Amino acid sequence: MKFSVRERWVMFFLMGAILIPGISRLAQADASDWPTGDEIVAEVNARDDGEYVTRKLTMEMIDRRGKKRVRETFGYRRYYGEEKRTVIFFLSPSSIKDTGFLTYDYPDADTDDDQWLYLPAARKVRRISSSDRGDYFLGTDLSYEDMKKEGKFSLEDYTHKTIGEEEVDGHRCYIVEGTPVDEATMKELGYGKVQTWIDPEIWMSRKSEFWDVRMNPLKTLRTTDIRQVDGIWTAHRLEVKNHKTGHSTIFTFADVDYTTEVDDDVFTERALVRGVRGN
Amino acid sequence: MLRFSRWPLSVWLVLLLVPASRVGAQDSEAVEQSRFERWRERVYTSGTVELEWGVETRDGHGQKFELQILPEIEVELSSEIDLTLIPRLRADGLDRLEPGSPSHPALSETSRHAHIGDRVELELRELYIETELGDTYLTIGKQQVVWGKADGLKVLDVINPQDFREFILDDFEDSRIPLWTVNVEIPIGDLTLQLLWIPDQTYHNLAGPGAAYEITSVFPALPPGATVIRNEIDRPRRVIGDSDIGARLSAFWKGWDVTLNYFYFYEDIPVVFRTISAGPTITLSPKYKRSQLVGGTFSNAFGSLTLRGELGYLFNRFHTVDDVTDLDGVVETDEFAYVLGFDWFGFSDTLLSAQLFQNILTADPSGLLRDRVETNVSFLARRNFRNETIVTEMLWVHNLNDGDGFLRPKVAYELRDNVNVWCGLDLFYGTRNGLFGQFNERDRVLIGVEWGF
Repeated sequence: MKFSVRERWVMFFLMGAILIPGISRLAQADASDWPTGDEIVAEVNARDDGEYVTRKLTMEMIDRRGKKRVRETFGYRRYYGEEKRTVIFFLSPSSIKDTGFLTYDYPDADTDDDQWLYLPAARKVRRISSSDRGDYFLGTDLSYEDMKKEGKFSLEDYTHKTIGEEEVDGHRCYIVEGTPVDEATMKELGYGKVQTWIDPEIWMSRKSEFWDVRMNPLKTLRTTDIRQVDGIWTAHRLEVKNHKTGHSTIFTFADVDYTTEVDDDVFTERALVRGVRGN
Repeated sequence: MLRFSRWPLSVWLVLLLVPASRVGAQDSEAVEQSRFERWRERVYTSGTVELEWGVETRDGHGQKFELQILPEIEVELSSEIDLTLIPRLRADGLDRLEPGSPSHPALSETSRHAHIGDRVELELRELYIETELGDTYLTIGKQQVVWGKADGLKVLDVINPQDFREFILDDFEDSRIPLWTVNVEIPIGDLTLQLLWIPDQTYHNLAGPGAAYEITSVFPALPPGATVIRNEIDRPRRVIGDSDIGARLSAFWKGWDVTLNYFYFYEDIPVVFRTISAGPTITLSPKYKRSQLVGGTFSNAFGSLTLRGELGYLFNRFHTVDDVTDLDGVVETDEFAYVLGFDWFGFSDTLLSAQLFQNILTADPSGLLRDRVETNVSFLARRNFRNETIVTEMLWVHNLNDGDGFLRPKVAYELRDNVNVWCGLDLFYGTRNGLFGQFNERDRVLIGVEWGF
């Protein structure tokens, strides 16, 4: 059977009239099935990450020419209700060995965190400001704020919406876009927007893209080697690439332990001065 | 010539021989190996090798060409006791900071250095054990104890005396003289009580005559033609009776870090008593004198600003007077000192810091060599670049009384993980009568490299 050109055009429009609304309805159904940004954020923030944890963290910092610097640390974290206390001791290299960094992170957004830095060269604990949270953490490619949030979301700083879904490393993920609540916050954090690929099976990020305040691509963070430790999903490798500087940092967690209770005394100035043995 | 004081040598021998004898007593090679492995697992070693070259800008003469090796050995003696050993070897190819082999009379017998010729010295910097008894934390041995919140200028950081061979240009970590100390920290609820007992009669080490940084500005000029008799320094010698004691109570209260401090101690510089007899003959009799310090510290952060401060009240301090009618050439007064510091973190990767330091005598006797109120200010600007591989800084310290001071611009670069290099200038200004101005001709350029292992 042969159709004239005119008949072919009529059939094309008829098929279009039948199929397009169907496809459109399908697409709308998928989008409406996505949880909202706030729902995803709530799931991620509610994810169990242990009342306390002890772990080793190695930070490999690689510049654009491939020159590598390595920092080995040992750290503790403990929740006191909604207040979080974290301490990191540097084990190597020798130039910064025994440096300690202690943070009290308060749930009230209006209360500044308390932070102390122990500098072995001065043998003094120094109180430091927590307002420079957009600064990069000790030469790495994550900011102080990124390090503090540990993959969780800030409800005070961003509004969140779900903008799609995509596979990352074979896992279906929702894409959540965070936009700073105002310009001041944007400048403080150093990000114009952040997109995060959340795996709904474990409610963890597998990838994040960061834009700077001028909306240029800034960084990509990939989270891999995610596995359960003591029944808690734990990321063991974070790789951050800064597209503007060409610098990158690989964070590797090891000897993660959620079962050994962390003593209150660890989160004190006197413990910061004493440091930890080589572990 | 090789000269070791007995104490450090005995310490070395004990440390070297005890493990060796234990291992040697084992019959089985396998057991020996196993024991050695266990020991090795409990020993942590690290350290630094630093080479620094200083050249005076006035005439291009070298001031220092110094190699410093500072290993640190930590040993877990048991699950409860850790031992730390930090010796230091220092070799200076130019020998201008401490010409010859100084005897270091201000140091106690147990803290003196061993000299190998004029240019190499070996020192036991620190040797201490740390242990816990319940909640109480004990650190016993030769160590540094640091009080205070100020940078560069001291009010409460007076537990350990200081080595002034490079005036105040050396890092405090290197210039602070560790003391044999019993250091006890006791948690009391949310407070921490620190108690110190220091049976070590070691005091400031001042650069001797002819040294690059010999201090001359604080002593009165002697009348020409007078006969001067200098007596030996009368120094405390009783280990128990002449020991120093201190206490510090620390707390974190409503966002504030606060401490209360008390220290009963010998001043680290001897008081020079002077008598004048017929001739005229001037007799100088230096003697270390007791003092007491009561004070406190505080610090807190407010947005991008950090505030920190120290207050100290010193009892019975002696000050030299330039008055021939005064019987002993010194007067005794109390003294109040404070430092206020502001650190601002408002710019990315940048620290701007300012400090005001004042020292006020409670009395105003005539003929004082110093002003009743001494005021110093300091400013520090530091900025990191390229993921903290490059650090630039400028420190400026200025004395408002004499109008003298110094500037220290510096650039440091982390060449590799364990290799740092730096270049800097130390620039003094002011008159010869000023504490800083007296070194106006000692301006220098420094380059250095440090390797960590």
